[in-house]
Amino acid sequence: MLELQGLTKHFGGVKALNELDLTVEEGGIIGLIGPNGSGKSTAINLICGVYGETAGTVHFRGVLMNGKPPHQRLRAGIARTFQNIRLFPELTVWQNLWVAQNSPQDISRQRFLPRWFGTTRQARKEIADLLELADLAHKGDELASNLAFGEQRRLEFARAAAARPLLLLLDEPAAGMSRQEIDDLGQRIRRLRDSGVTILLVEHMMELVMGVTEQIAVLNFGHRIAFGTPGEVQSDRAVQEAYLGTDATESGPAGGSA
Amino acid sequence: MGDFDFVYITQTVGDGLLFGSTYALIGIGFTLIFGAMGKLNMTYAAASLGGAYVGLAAFTFVNAPALVVFLVSALASGIVGFIAYLTCFRFIPIHNHLAALMASIGGLFFIDEIVIHTTDGSPLTFPAMFEDVMFELGPLGIRGDLLFVFAVCIAATAGLLFVLYRSRLGLATRAVSQQDVAARLCGIDVHRTNAVTFVLAGLLGGIAGAMTAAAVGVLSPLITIPLTVKGLIVTVIGGLGSIPGAIVAGLMVGALENVFLYFRGVNERDMYVLLLLFVFLVFRPHGIFGSAISRD
Repeated sequence: MLELQGLTKHFGGVKALNELDLTVEEGGIIGLIGPNGSGKSTAINLICGVYGETAGTVHFRGVLMNGKPPHQRLRAGIARTFQNIRLFPELTVWQNLWVAQNSPQDISRQRFLPRWFGTTRQARKEIADLLELADLAHKGDELASNLAFGEQRRLEFARAAAARPLLLLLDEPAAGMSRQEIDDLGQRIRRLRDSGVTILLVEHMMELVMGVTEQIAVLNFGHRIAFGTPGEVQSDRAVQEAYLGTDATESGPAGGSA
Repeated sequence: MGDFDFVYITQTVGDGLLFGSTYALIGIGFTLIFGAMGKLNMTYAAASLGGAYVGLAAFTFVNAPALVVFLVSALASGIVGFIAYLTCFRFIPIHNHLAALMASIGGLFFIDEIVIHTTDGSPLTFPAMFEDVMFELGPLGIRGDLLFVFAVCIAATAGLLFVLYRSRLGLATRAVSQQDVAARLCGIDVHRTNAVTFVLAGLLGGIAGAMTAAAVGVLSPLITIPLTVKGLIVTVIGGLGSIPGAIVAGLMVGALENVFLYFRGVNERDMYVLLLLFVFLVFRPHGIFGSAISRD
């Protein structure tokens, strides 16, 4: 479904990502992990088009994505959430979801006037469902900036789902969450996967990654150092060295920022 | 230059408030585009008056009724706003503020020159409505044409607020101005919503231009620069990016300008308006409603 070939990004002299090859099959939950500065966020930003790549290609469902702006990639089916929450603060919860309904189905279904000046019953129903999924049904008319931290994270998750993506990129969705919230998040991720969304999960929280993912790719210093099931990755020597910091990392090049 | 006469001053403030509604509209237009892109569109007042000229052409050549003239003005100004976006903003990198500013100043003079060349620079009579109506309110009188201008400006503002706060179109433009990276990644085409913002502002400006001309009774290229300056003053005093600020500041500048006119005469009036701007810049640089400007 998603195919990265030789994906490379340099920021000046910093090689944030180096020739990453990764294939994500449809219908799974794939983890992307690595120490700070290993290129995880860079990879996400390249996939969804925030940055332009230095070299390499991004194919999504067989279509070359290089050079396409983010909104076109979203319409092709790639949505994401952000590590640092980026909601529309002065829109209500409901409106945050409403403006994010930009899937090809939504666009083709409606003509200009109903699309921009009205809502359809189906659009309202989908928003209601998303509010239910994010456990925010009672907060629909609240301004997004007035939500508590955990609620904002749930809203961002729902907003990404509002575009009916085929592939959802989650950028450290568990950051700052309590154990209970992480459990809920894991269930929410599985529910979304069951509805047919493929998920690429970038996360520090090993508990969540090991719990929900089926396959994991490990990055270090912009290189992929391992790929396999959670069990395989955990017992991989290179991965242990990368995380525990042996000679291999201490003598390595200075890492870029995440 | 008058003595202190309570009735006369009240009258003059009232007239100023009514006329100030056109400043408010111009200020809203500037502030709307600043809110969306963080840039000043200097063509705005010129485009607004340009729209009014097109409306006037409809009046001159096909003898269109006043309401149609106003409508044509708004549409024409909306189109000019779109062209201004394409020429001065769309293809200039988003972080190059100076280039966009200079391009739009060029646009301002370009529009102005077109007007001067097609009209030979002479003022033209503009149709008004209810100009011979006068409402008596005790010792005060309310001019029918000014009241009409005020009502149209209120209606236009209400329409704009409805679009911005209730329609998906307006919410999308506000989403872009609040968090443009996330908006892109939610599938919103930023270039398109910015174009929509320019058209909306342009429609509003056309109404403002037509109402200014209707209140004064003439349309002249000499109005362009003063209207640009007044619009910017209103935008800054109201707080860059704040629509309520632009409304309050527009009415305030309209009223105070008439007070200055009453006490100090027409030659000194604008001097005091600029002094007012100076006072705001020194003591309240972020304007009435503006928050301290911060960017993500």
